[in-house]
Amino acid sequence: MGDGRVERLLRSGEGVAYWGAAAPALARLPAALGYRIACARGDWLFRCRVGERTELARNLRQVLGELSPAAVQQVTRDWYRLASCEAVDVNRLRHGARPLRRLVEIQGREHLEAALAAGKGAILCTGHFGSCNSGFSVLHASGFPVTSIGRWWYNYTAGMSHAVSSAERWFWDRFYARPLRRHRQRPNIEPWPGRVEVAALAAAAVRANEVVTIAIDAPPLDGDRARAVEVPFLGRRAGLLPGVVTLAQLSGAPVLTGFLYRSADYRHQVLEISPPVPVDGETATAFGRCAAAVSAAIRRSPAHWEVWANTRDLVGLGLIPPQREAATASMSPRSTRCTRSAGSRSRSGRLITDSTRRSRTLPCWR
Amino acid sequence: METVINDYISRELVQDPALLPLADEASLLESGILDSLSLLRLVVYLEERFGITMGDTDLLPENFASVNTICAYVRARMPGKQEAARG
Repeated sequence: MGDGRVERLLRSGEGVAYWGAAAPALARLPAALGYRIACARGDWLFRCRVGERTELARNLRQVLGELSPAAVQQVTRDWYRLASCEAVDVNRLRHGARPLRRLVEIQGREHLEAALAAGKGAILCTGHFGSCNSGFSVLHASGFPVTSIGRWWYNYTAGMSHAVSSAERWFWDRFYARPLRRHRQRPNIEPWPGRVEVAALAAAAVRANEVVTIAIDAPPLDGDRARAVEVPFLGRRAGLLPGVVTLAQLSGAPVLTGFLYRSADYRHQVLEISPPVPVDGETATAFGRCAAAVSAAIRRSPAHWEVWANTRDLVGLGLIPPQREAATASMSPRSTRCTRSAGSRSRSGRLITDSTRRSRTLPCWR
Repeated sequence: METVINDYISRELVQDPALLPLADEASLLESGILDSLSLLRLVVYLEERFGITMGDTDLLPENFASVNTICAYVRARMPGKQEAARG
């Protein structure tokens, strides 16, 4: 058994133990204590995952060059803390939304209420940012009918270095997806390759005057690259899918942005919802406004963005040159596994594929 | 109806001129003419043009496999008199 396989098994075991046993217990503790312990687990991951941490810091410097070394370290540590806190968020949704709802403040709900009052639904544009899935469940539990476009990551096996077993699927469905799914209007609209009815299903949801969430910061799948448009994103030109704008233009639903920020105490969060973003005019121009909003949220709080440790996705977005990915891969066997085999661990310990992030609700799904 | 729908797809949705002229029995999915967003465009067009409403359960690939299957689906959804009135 190779070192890589042993390491993968150990990490898998730790992730299963944390998500399956520790996080449910932490979710039952007083919030201050539960989230403090989650942060301690994040600090432990930060110390242990040297290769991943190094790659993450390198990616941060590459994309956000203005960060000082101390800031990079702070962001990297926070990235692990936020991932561990997300598990507590999800588990606080298991027995009703109230335990998490009282920790999440929704700012700008009047914008969403005004949008729904017009009767054409609303599209909530976001990124793979913070515990947004938990945030959307809280939003649903607060009276807004929410449906997300995104894949449950464990159902997507294409390109993975090893198959996801039925036991793994059961586990992640039980401990990750189910608590979130309880607080949604419809099942996730999952954009599998070849599933052509996705946009029409999303349009049906907004026609029913519901809220549809879309994370727009995923690199396009190979089959979708021709439809991508290049827009300014984190100081570079990124190729992203402008489906959010097309959906808005065809359905008449307004596009708002929504980002969930965790406060300095790690237990309280604020879901910030913007007024409608103009989507009239040329698709690329309108989509550029959406991408600018996501970009600004990432710059404001870089640790909240999930994608930093996923070099392949950063390359796919055009934020990091491909040659650096190759150089990284040649230097680090671990990075090779993460960026080449398409099978890697998320920051929270879940196994993900690079394709997972593409068009996910986020993670759908880390 | 075949001509109307074929014209719309050929004009608005076909990106590759090599696929034209479009045969009524040509596969719209395998040829890549219909993807998620172009299907939505088509659905919006069909609803406006033929006065039908498509539910979630109607969004099956087999209903949109070709111009012919689309026409069969639309005819099944349309009241007979509506079709005659619209010509």
